[in-house]
Amino acid sequence: MSRRSYTRHIPDFRLVTFLAENGRSAAHMMSPWTKGVLLVMVILLVIVLTDLYLLLIMFAVVLTFYIIGRLPIRLLIGWYSLPVLFVVTLSVMFMFTEPGTIIADTRFFGIHIALTDKGVLLFVKLLVRALVVVTFSLAVFMTTKYSYIAHIASRTLPRTLANIFLLSYRFTFETSDEMSDVLDALHARSGNLAKGASKQTRLFAGIFGLAFVHAFERAERIAKAMEARGFSGEFPRYEKLPQPGPGGYCLIALAVLALGAVSYSRYVSNLFGW
Amino acid sequence: MAHIHLEDGAFTLFWVAVWSLIAAGIISAALFRQGGNKIPTRKLAIAAMCVAVGFAIFQVEIPVFGGVHINLTPLMGILLGPSLGTLSVLVINIFSAAIGHGGWGMIGANTIVNVVEVFLGYYAYKLLRSGLRLGRFPSGFGSAAIALTVSAFVVVGIVTVSELQDSAQTRDQTFNNMLVLAAANIVTGLVEGVVTGYMVSFIGRIRPDLLEGAEGGGRQGKPTQAPVEAAHV
Repeated sequence: MSRRSYTRHIPDFRLVTFLAENGRSAAHMMSPWTKGVLLVMVILLVIVLTDLYLLLIMFAVVLTFYIIGRLPIRLLIGWYSLPVLFVVTLSVMFMFTEPGTIIADTRFFGIHIALTDKGVLLFVKLLVRALVVVTFSLAVFMTTKYSYIAHIASRTLPRTLANIFLLSYRFTFETSDEMSDVLDALHARSGNLAKGASKQTRLFAGIFGLAFVHAFERAERIAKAMEARGFSGEFPRYEKLPQPGPGGYCLIALAVLALGAVSYSRYVSNLFGW
Repeated sequence: MAHIHLEDGAFTLFWVAVWSLIAAGIISAALFRQGGNKIPTRKLAIAAMCVAVGFAIFQVEIPVFGGVHINLTPLMGILLGPSLGTLSVLVINIFSAAIGHGGWGMIGANTIVNVVEVFLGYYAYKLLRSGLRLGRFPSGFGSAAIALTVSAFVVVGIVTVSELQDSAQTRDQTFNNMLVLAAANIVTGLVEGVVTGYMVSFIGRIRPDLLEGAEGGGRQGKPTQAPVEAAHV
């Protein structure tokens, strides 16, 4: 497990890996292929769906999957802060300029600012969509072993990209710890990130510069070690990837059916009177 | 830096497909430039390590408008070169999407934005350092500032053209809204430019070989190798 979390707002990769490797829930037992296909379906569904109620149902479904995986809910709420922050950052400009019925308005330096019902709805929809995908995405990564992810990456990505992806995933633990140390050191010296950006750029540059130089030096050592061990350009796959079971195929079929129905309803003819 | 902090569902399926296809074309070209699957182990390890460092730095948020952060993509361009840098930013975007830092469907659009930063970072640095013979700090600052300013407008362009689904705003209104964000990104880009300038100076003092590719083989001659190739083992 991790020495400590990098930050409360970003998932700790060590914790994610620990849960993925040691979990024994139904979600962990599910075939990685099933979860991968379902992740794609969830992404497509949130893009195609525009009805808030259906999006909320989707959120309930993915949250149920997360709970079935016996994954930490309290941490998830902390991890929500990043996508929520981004949605708020962007939506705040659209909320006040979206055409619609005015809910509240004020004057700010002579400029009329109005919050509209459509603006709020836009914000809520963007937020729910973000939370649906983030919840399911994290659930998939916290219930799928590294070896399975490695297997899928090497089967679906071009070899060079798969290799960079898999190697960098392994290196992330080291670099995240290094960044945590750096941030601790910064705070211990009464530093502050907001001040750091504007007033302590030289300090930041030294820290980040050293991180990059260390990265190059480590990479050079690792490359030598890999070549010495006969690395041939492809990482070996040790574990066989479990194929989806009947239940997995049923789930995939349901998701495809749902996607087909909502796509037809949105782009061709309204099936359900939404 | 510029990064489209929109989650999945913000763009329609059509625009997600358009940006993803363009990004796929760029990635294919970068893979081709790197020799397909024949990338040397050393380059592979360096790219992966830079991704890990870049990803770690990427997550350090600076509370300006809640959504800006330093990602050092221009610096990655200077250190890794345009094609290896392109592959690296794609992987950073995949990692970021996995934790909700931009949606999965935004990987294509964000890769385009970051590739602009990598390319401009590399070529602007090369021009300023080798062409105009400026020092490392002004070259690093200038290249990062140019790259991040242009990419901030690329973000505005992508969001304006794509439009937010469910929004009734016209493209003009969307453009005006996005300009506010671009202004914030440009200001942060200038801060990142200063950081990049100092970092390039710092790296130039302790490992000048890492900058040889972007500096045209130092100030003595033209580059003979890609940046990573130029670094000594």
